[in-house]
Amino acid sequence: MGTSGIGSDAGSQSICHALPAGMKLLLTLGIILVAGLIPLEHWPAQGLLLALVFVGLSVAGVTMRYLVRRLALFLPLLLVFGLSVPMARSNDAAWSWTLSLWLRCTVSFMAGLWLVHVLPFRDLLTTLRYWHFPPALIAMLGFMYRYTFILWDELRRLRNARAARDFGGGPWWRVWSINSQVIGLLLLRAMERAERTHRAMLARGWDGSIRFLDGKD
Amino acid sequence: MHIRDGILAPEVCLVAGAISLGAITYSLRRLRFDLEDRAVPLTGMMAAIVFAGQMVNFPLFGLPVSGHLLGGVLAAVMLGPWAGCLAISMVLIVQAVLFSDGGLMSLGANILNMAVVGAWGGYAVYATIRRMLGNGAAATVSAAVIAAWLSVLGAAALFCAEFLCSSRSAGVDPRGVLSLMVLYHSLIGVGEALITGAVLSFVLARRADLVPTPNAPGSVGTIGRFAVTGLMAALAVAAIVAPFKSESPDGLDAAAQNLKFDKLEVERPPLVLDDYAIPVPEPVWWPALPVSLAGIVGTLVVFIAAVVLAGITRRNVVPIRVADGSHGN
Repeated sequence: MGTSGIGSDAGSQSICHALPAGMKLLLTLGIILVAGLIPLEHWPAQGLLLALVFVGLSVAGVTMRYLVRRLALFLPLLLVFGLSVPMARSNDAAWSWTLSLWLRCTVSFMAGLWLVHVLPFRDLLTTLRYWHFPPALIAMLGFMYRYTFILWDELRRLRNARAARDFGGGPWWRVWSINSQVIGLLLLRAMERAERTHRAMLARGWDGSIRFLDGKD
Repeated sequence: MHIRDGILAPEVCLVAGAISLGAITYSLRRLRFDLEDRAVPLTGMMAAIVFAGQMVNFPLFGLPVSGHLLGGVLAAVMLGPWAGCLAISMVLIVQAVLFSDGGLMSLGANILNMAVVGAWGGYAVYATIRRMLGNGAAATVSAAVIAAWLSVLGAAALFCAEFLCSSRSAGVDPRGVLSLMVLYHSLIGVGEALITGAVLSFVLARRADLVPTPNAPGSVGTIGRFAVTGLMAALAVAAIVAPFKSESPDGLDAAAQNLKFDKLEVERPPLVLDDYAIPVPEPVWWPALPVSLAGIVGTLVVFIAAVVLAGITRRNVVPIRVADGSHGN
């Protein structure tokens, strides 16, 4: 899994990767919560938090390039959103609100990036099971994760097939109609595949519990 | 559509998270499946379909940005409200944890806006309309088109409420936020409605047996459905009409009073308006007219789309096996 280079790379080992999965989750949530509660008057504390998250990202081995690319997608939207309030009503309260919004959101976003980088999805499932989340939900999440990569490949094949048959372009309603058909076809194939998979699972003795290869079962 | 961390106050996130947790638990209970049941892999697959479907970009009339499917109503139509709600929740969880797309703390709010409103609310509208129109393929498509549009507007209005609850201190003008959000989302909603309708019409033409009738046991009661449908419709109307009141009082206010729109003011939830006794200076930079115009045009487009797509579906319902190069396995 993880063929598309998404999620965390199991190969890299850092202190951050070695932390227990539950702790990673709680740590990230804690940082986001604290960032949300610090008022603007204490902006040095917010800056300290930002520095801390940045150190965490470097220790976890996130490259500067990746970070800049993600921030470049994230920051413009945030800037526009933050500006909408002072533009409607420019007073001091609105501007300080905007500033604290920018700080909060950046800290939270970078903390989220850290989590994405250090927490493999399977560990998340194990942790959720340890925290007694409903087993049905965990099983579904596991299926979804597995199927997502399969469907991405399927989608790529469908797009290749389409690209080989039309020359792209056309008026927008044509593109919309073709794209909707691609999704519809993906849906049909995927539903049929889910039924086949389910029958195959039953044939192999599926009793509703997912086994993990980490020796905890 | 995804709310980032830091935009909503922690306590609002907490409340939204609690509601979403309740909704997920309730959905799991209502499904009442054994774990061996096919609902488990099927729901997982539906989540993956919505997720993969969101990778397909739809060009926006020559603009440099593009839109994509949201999928709440589509999932609910295919699997029913409970599994649909679970599927969309899982998409949001995976996007937050695996892609950092949408916040972790605001995950609850995202699930509430998109999974609960999208799947439960959307399904209620869909089921009500389908009951009125009958069980034909055309009825199914038009019901889904309208439900998809309303669910997007409902999500936008709910976001406004959450946002206003968390940022009272900034002196945000509630009507300004509402009109801006409605302006965007009545257009986004048209896109969502078109995509949902087209996908569903494609599926109905080929495998109509995959789309269940909403009267199956385990769905919502009729009264509940009517209540939710009425609520969503009222919300959409209120959202479209509300900006008229935000314009400077002379011209449009009179028009609003003539048209009896001023009554809407009374119905607004008090919790949003607590701090707004302060006289509002009125340089509201998003004027009301484009918003309402967008709402009205959106409504028209959605209804036309419903009729046209329904017509296409009615013509297409012949079981055609497409030679699509599927490899099976």
